[in-house]
Amino acid sequence: MDAIINLANNSIEFFKTVVEFAPKFIPGVILTLQLAFFSIILGMIIGLVVAVLKLTKYKWLKKIMNVYITIVRGTPLLLQLYFIFYGLPSLGIMIDSFPSAVIALALHNGAYISEIFRGSIESIDYGQREAARSLGMTKWQAMKRVVLPQAFKRSVPALGNQFIIAVKDSSLASVITITETMLLARQFGAATFNVFPIYFTAGVYYLIITMGLTKILSIVEQKLKVNER
Amino acid sequence: MSMIEIKNLHKYFGELEVLRGIDLTVDESEVVCLIGSSGSGKSTLLRCINFLEEKNEGEITIDGQLVTAKDINEIRQKVGMVFQRFNLFPHMTVIQNVMEGPLTVKKMAKKKARSLAMALLEKVNLLDKADEYPAMLSGGQQQRVAIARSLAMEPKVILFDEPTSALDPELVGEVLGVMKDLAKEGRTMIIVTHEMGFAKEVADRVIFIHDGQIAEEGPPEAIFEHPENERLQNFLGQILV
Repeated sequence: MDAIINLANNSIEFFKTVVEFAPKFIPGVILTLQLAFFSIILGMIIGLVVAVLKLTKYKWLKKIMNVYITIVRGTPLLLQLYFIFYGLPSLGIMIDSFPSAVIALALHNGAYISEIFRGSIESIDYGQREAARSLGMTKWQAMKRVVLPQAFKRSVPALGNQFIIAVKDSSLASVITITETMLLARQFGAATFNVFPIYFTAGVYYLIITMGLTKILSIVEQKLKVNER
Repeated sequence: MSMIEIKNLHKYFGELEVLRGIDLTVDESEVVCLIGSSGSGKSTLLRCINFLEEKNEGEITIDGQLVTAKDINEIRQKVGMVFQRFNLFPHMTVIQNVMEGPLTVKKMAKKKARSLAMALLEKVNLLDKADEYPAMLSGGQQQRVAIARSLAMEPKVILFDEPTSALDPELVGEVLGVMKDLAKEGRTMIIVTHEMGFAKEVADRVIFIHDGQIAEEGPPEAIFEHPENERLQNFLGQILV
């Protein structure tokens, strides 16, 4: 009997803490959203440029792009964040914490997204390019008007995955003094010793963001499907 | 006046010599059918004419202009191509497919491109499908759209690369019908085909390609009724049974 009363009391305490701290997370959640947003948008731009450059006939460009992808994919994101925020100043390059985080996350996502784009560009039937070129289109026109629209559609599911990873990876920005959701959780936890409900709240916020993102992506996917049988 | 002049064309795929010195002149308004067994080089010849394959040796002159890699985009506007597998753009509607060349390459005004496309779709009898996507169409319909798409660039020559080989037998007729109409209009056409009946009826000249060379050429009656080349006799024997 006592055990049940105890559990009930603990639960009430738990949710009281959750309700108390939920609003205090808002500034951190906004930062998380900003980090995710900028790193996804910039990552997409970087990814597209790198993917297209890799498909040009210039071997040296391709090599440079491969070096970039190898370095980014082959080292931890944590190290990349440290390098830009703590490492670059020793070379005389000082960047504030928020731009540092956005740069590191965008470069990181860009490498993965470029491979997603390259894969989907290469999956488009070569006959499409031939048909476009035979109308007199330049290589670039054929890419822009015919190949990329189809490739983009094919890359949406994989992009969705990468976007969700980007949201969660933004938590690593806490190591370079950005008070996003996870750093706030750590601070609240240290201040109150009430760790469980506070990390629970942080987790719920991440879930809300990633579920919303998934929903948006499935709508985009449906919209792009119109021309299929 | 000759529309296409090919001199001593050679094409290698690695070690393999696919075209071994082709000389060919096609006159304006002439319909030429290329026949031959698979691997003989007839499709490669067609693809060399608009640089989808780069030739290794020889000269190609189209409408008085020597074809070089530099001005290939300009040449391609004069040379339409219809593919075996249609290659329609699946993310565009039928009418958008037809308008794409004039809009993007010729920078034609949208209104003008649309009325041009409508007229061409009427010609291939597909006006009612203008706003459908290619995936909703049968193979024969898709190929007719592809023909309209290449006509939209107002080409001087149209190249057909086995245009009916990917079609169900009952759909072949509608595509050949459109091609016959084009021939009657006096269009210059080079057609790689396995439809001997069609070649007999429509071609001004039939060319038999064997082993990367022109083995025999002549008017359809001569080629089909009195073949001289032994290879051609064998070839016709195999397919006309």
